[in-house]
Amino acid sequence: MNRDLLASLQTWVQNGARLMGEVTFQPCPAGFSLTHYLDAQETDPGTLEFFDDPLQARKIATWDAQGQFRPMKTSPTLRRGWRLQVRDIEGLRTALEGFYPAMLGSFLSLTRQELTPVHLRETLGRQTGMYAITKKLTDAQAQEVVGCTCCWETGCRKTLLWQLTPETPFQSLSPSKFQTDARPPDARISGDTIPLLCIEACNLLVAKAREEIKRQPAP
Amino acid sequence: MIAFMNPKPGSALVIVGHGSTQNPDSSTPSFEHADAILRRRIFGEVHCVFWKEEPSFRHLPHLVDRSDVYVVPNFISEGYFTRTVIPRELELDGPLTHRHGRTLKYCEPVGNHPRMTDLLLRRAAEVAPGVPPSETSLLIVGHGTNLNDNSAAAAKREVEKIAALGLYAEVLNTYMEEAPLISEWDTLTTQPNVVVVPFFISDGLHSYQDIPVLLGIESEPTEAASQRSVFRNNPYHLRGRTLYYSSAIGTEPLFADVILDQVAAFDLAHTAHP
Repeated sequence: MNRDLLASLQTWVQNGARLMGEVTFQPCPAGFSLTHYLDAQETDPGTLEFFDDPLQARKIATWDAQGQFRPMKTSPTLRRGWRLQVRDIEGLRTALEGFYPAMLGSFLSLTRQELTPVHLRETLGRQTGMYAITKKLTDAQAQEVVGCTCCWETGCRKTLLWQLTPETPFQSLSPSKFQTDARPPDARISGDTIPLLCIEACNLLVAKAREEIKRQPAP
Repeated sequence: MIAFMNPKPGSALVIVGHGSTQNPDSSTPSFEHADAILRRRIFGEVHCVFWKEEPSFRHLPHLVDRSDVYVVPNFISEGYFTRTVIPRELELDGPLTHRHGRTLKYCEPVGNHPRMTDLLLRRAAEVAPGVPPSETSLLIVGHGTNLNDNSAAAAKREVEKIAALGLYAEVLNTYMEEAPLISEWDTLTTQPNVVVVPFFISDGLHSYQDIPVLLGIESEPTEAASQRSVFRNNPYHLRGRTLYYSSAIGTEPLFADVILDQVAAFDLAHTAHP
């Protein structure tokens, strides 16, 4: 296999990566300092809640600013107001895994050409139990559900690598949804972006597809 | 129960959980057990994957660096998820799968472990301190589902084992979705004290929010456990009885040892020289 995510992350950081989703990370004498990208310019140390355990990233990412649970960690609702200090690259990896689970590894797989996107019809086609009904989702319903749920601006910041079928792209999404270097328009962070990659429809989307079928059964 | 496991720095451990899109506490025990096992430095890597949260089952090939991977379902029953969903989503061929340069070792779910009986008894004693078991009905509540007949089997097995010990005046199975229903707890039992232990992995949607409504200790589902300052106000005086409701069995920290035991059991069953 010879996969080494830690070494790869080290390389990406050395090559200038500083942003991942809504999180920015900056090398500093004590290791790395992570904040929400909108808090990156905050200079008053008392303004941001301080953490020094990389496992806290998972907890920061659990709730949005309104106290709502964030089952989709790539939704653009990461709360602000915190600073996480980690000691080394291992701490940075743990923290970024907490904010964006499996996204570092997905990018590594992309660079190693080990990423095979699965198109929506295939994902829905293998569902069983309560989600078996999603096989009946029409193309129009699929466009609508994906357009709402996966919307880059309001739904999910992952870059979509799959289509409805190998021949059928999604018309209902903005160009940002397909760009691996997409970043928030107000991000004043110099440096590269580690992309958030979507290889296959998540269970949240499959559940939305089920809801849509139940709401409006296919003819 | 193992007290020590030889280090496996060349192997990864992946704990497979259900997770929830509605309740953040559903995945908490899996993460906590993973963190505890990681601190013991037995495996080169320790990860969690979930059906309904991130990282998902399908992320496993991208999460793990190592080629030797133990997969332990943090599920109570040998049922629909362990036999259908997990094998399908992880593309498993059976207990041993060789795929894309990796060996995936699919272990037994935690709920199959013989230590479950002790852990259920421990929970029952903790939640009702000083209450004589001889005047107590113990209810083990499981999910139950029509999707797979095996789903309720683990709970039934545990009830039989606990009943055979003769400690409690009566020990019964109950379920959320199939008879005997937990909502009928008062008609199912005869003793003045009733202890209910959820045979669930987490204090998530079902055990913390749904079952209390079915028991009658809440009129409607509350917010998640992690959002409340008080976990429970045992005991509850309801329907002429004294009712004690414990936290889910899977939140017990000893589950980390059970996960390691399932790895050891896999090695014993499937590997000539572990």
